Amino acid sequence: MSMKRYDLIIVGAGPSGLSAAIEAARRGLKVVVFDENEKPGGQLFKQIHKFFGSKEHKAKVRGFVIGQQLLQEAAELGVEVVLNATVVGMYMDKEIVVKMGEEVHHFKGDSILIATGAAENMVTFDGWTLPGVIGAGAAQTMMNLHGIKPGSKILMLGSGNVGLVVSYQLLQAGCEVVALVDAAPRVGGYGVHAAKVARCGVPFYLSHTIMKAEGTECVTGVTIAQVDSHFKFIPGTEKHFDVDTICLAVGLSPMSQLLKMAGCEMEDNPRRGGQVPICDEYGETSIKGLFVAGDVSGIEEASSAMIEGRIAGIAAAYYLGYIDKEELDAKYQENQAALAGLRQGMFAPENRGKLVEKTEEGIDVSMNLLEKGFIAEDEIERFPGVTHTKGIHPVIECSQNIPCNPCQDACPKHCIKIGSHITALPAVDENVECVGCGMCVASCSGQAIFLVQEDYEPGYGTVTLPYEFLPLPQKGDKGFGLDRSGKKVCEAEVVQVRTSPAFDHTNLLTIKVPSDMVMKARFYKAE
Amino acid sequence: MTMENIYDRAITLGEYVPEPDDDRIICRCEEITKGEIRRAVHDGMYTITEIRRYLRTGMGLCQGQTCAKLVKSIVARELEVSPAVLEPATSRSPMRPIEMKIFAQEAKEVGDNV
Repeated sequence: MSMKRYDLIIVGAGPSGLSAAIEAARRGLKVVVFDENEKPGGQLFKQIHKFFGSKEHKAKVRGFVIGQQLLQEAAELGVEVVLNATVVGMYMDKEIVVKMGEEVHHFKGDSILIATGAAENMVTFDGWTLPGVIGAGAAQTMMNLHGIKPGSKILMLGSGNVGLVVSYQLLQAGCEVVALVDAAPRVGGYGVHAAKVARCGVPFYLSHTIMKAEGTECVTGVTIAQVDSHFKFIPGTEKHFDVDTICLAVGLSPMSQLLKMAGCEMEDNPRRGGQVPICDEYGETSIKGLFVAGDVSGIEEASSAMIEGRIAGIAAAYYLGYIDKEELDAKYQENQAALAGLRQGMFAPENRGKLVEKTEEGIDVSMNLLEKGFIAEDEIERFPGVTHTKGIHPVIECSQNIPCNPCQDACPKHCIKIGSHITALPAVDENVECVGCGMCVASCSGQAIFLVQEDYEPGYGTVTLPYEFLPLPQKGDKGFGLDRSGKKVCEAEVVQVRTSPAFDHTNLLTIKVPSDMVMKARFYKAE
Repeated sequence: MTMENIYDRAITLGEYVPEPDDDRIICRCEEITKGEIRRAVHDGMYTITEIRRYLRTGMGLCQGQTCAKLVKSIVARELEVSPAVLEPATSRSPMRPIEMKIFAQEAKEVGDNV
């Protein structure tokens, strides 16, 4: 037997593991990354939507593109990424055992980073073991990695960002999403993610959960019912749907077993998603030189996982003497600031589960958005991105304080203002003339920006909306305008379809609708 | 109940009262039902490790990836404690299912140790 040695061994080639590998290799460490999957990237390659944040967080770049960038950067720096390599054990003195092919191999790391991510939670109900009940992440893997439709008629349980994003992607893949259900009384994820699902016509059932999945060989239907404040079913509220698939998006649990096995001090921390290692601000556990980053140390988003990975990679370089304290401190400050930027606003960790009733600007939040998935007509006017000027102009239906600002830089005329405080709601400067270029529409990761022209021709106006479905409608096509709830409200004619590399696959569809519909129509459906 | 007195077997949990969903499978790999887990607690299995050895929950193909949290919440509810006070099952190698012939097959190549 022989044992290979590395300066840094990383377990998990996801966003945090690859980011750590890059930072460490850049500082001269010999780095290897093991991943049990046949493809690298962790969850990144399943993320076909544009990310939120600012430039430094790679905002408006699609997740899988970020994955490609990380892999390329790691390769250029000489990082070895070993796939189909399952770490089956971690022992004293940072020794790991890896299954590769038909053999097990031993490796010794002078430092180790565990970046194993998380696994999907399940809930049980009658029939939950029937084929057709799957995790939302599994559905995403099937459609976005393997090109397989998970089902035709689908019910989604869970209104967090995973449930919302995957519901939208199921619609994009051509599935019908019959309902989005959550036992909680309010939508858990970003309002903009909810709004883009709702305007496609998916009904939201908050304070509801699944009673039973029906079928003998596989799922053929599902019954949901309303729950009271103690999560007990309310008799008489049952609703049935014919479905062939039930997706569960009910949270994630850190896959921290390797750390427990190695003897790290652990804690059960519900705020972090379960069993997590106790670690310091660099991600170093109770065992010196053993680091963690990403979901394994607390469930968050890929954007924060990447920064945690960078910090851990730099800390490993310091631990092994490749950099001095000064560089560690400087780099830590820089990354910590970026991390703090992501952890603010309405969805900041300290607000988890709380109802934030007013925005930072003092505006009442849209309760309809939280309860039905879309902003009601009598709520929309109070947000600073919603204005009425002559000619074409943006209408920004961004109503929650989330750390995201690409729209501000997108406008060549600088008519969208967020300011230095990244969570501020975007405001439209009515004194600057909009040229209708649509860059803001395409730049909004939440697909919440529309261009509205109330006086296109007598009696008619236009709405330009972001459109990420195929087949792409053609100029001259006739169909219907759907309102924010997905209800048909008027006839609509496609008058322009724009695509451009700068839009990165967010097509701009301009529809002509009656003038009184320009503030109502938010989606287009072909005849 | 606190963590210490989970080990106090003198505590009585009261009668085992059947529940309508007792026949629901919780551990899919080993096909263990909710009722079996609840009954195991009443049989004196108060820790996750004991439950595991008694019923084989979490010892199948997925190694508890799916059911660990579910089993924990059922046991905690039966003991009337927070799930957070229950130690999870011991983590040991192999972390993932592996054929014994592979587990015993150590790579022979001479490494390029540096």
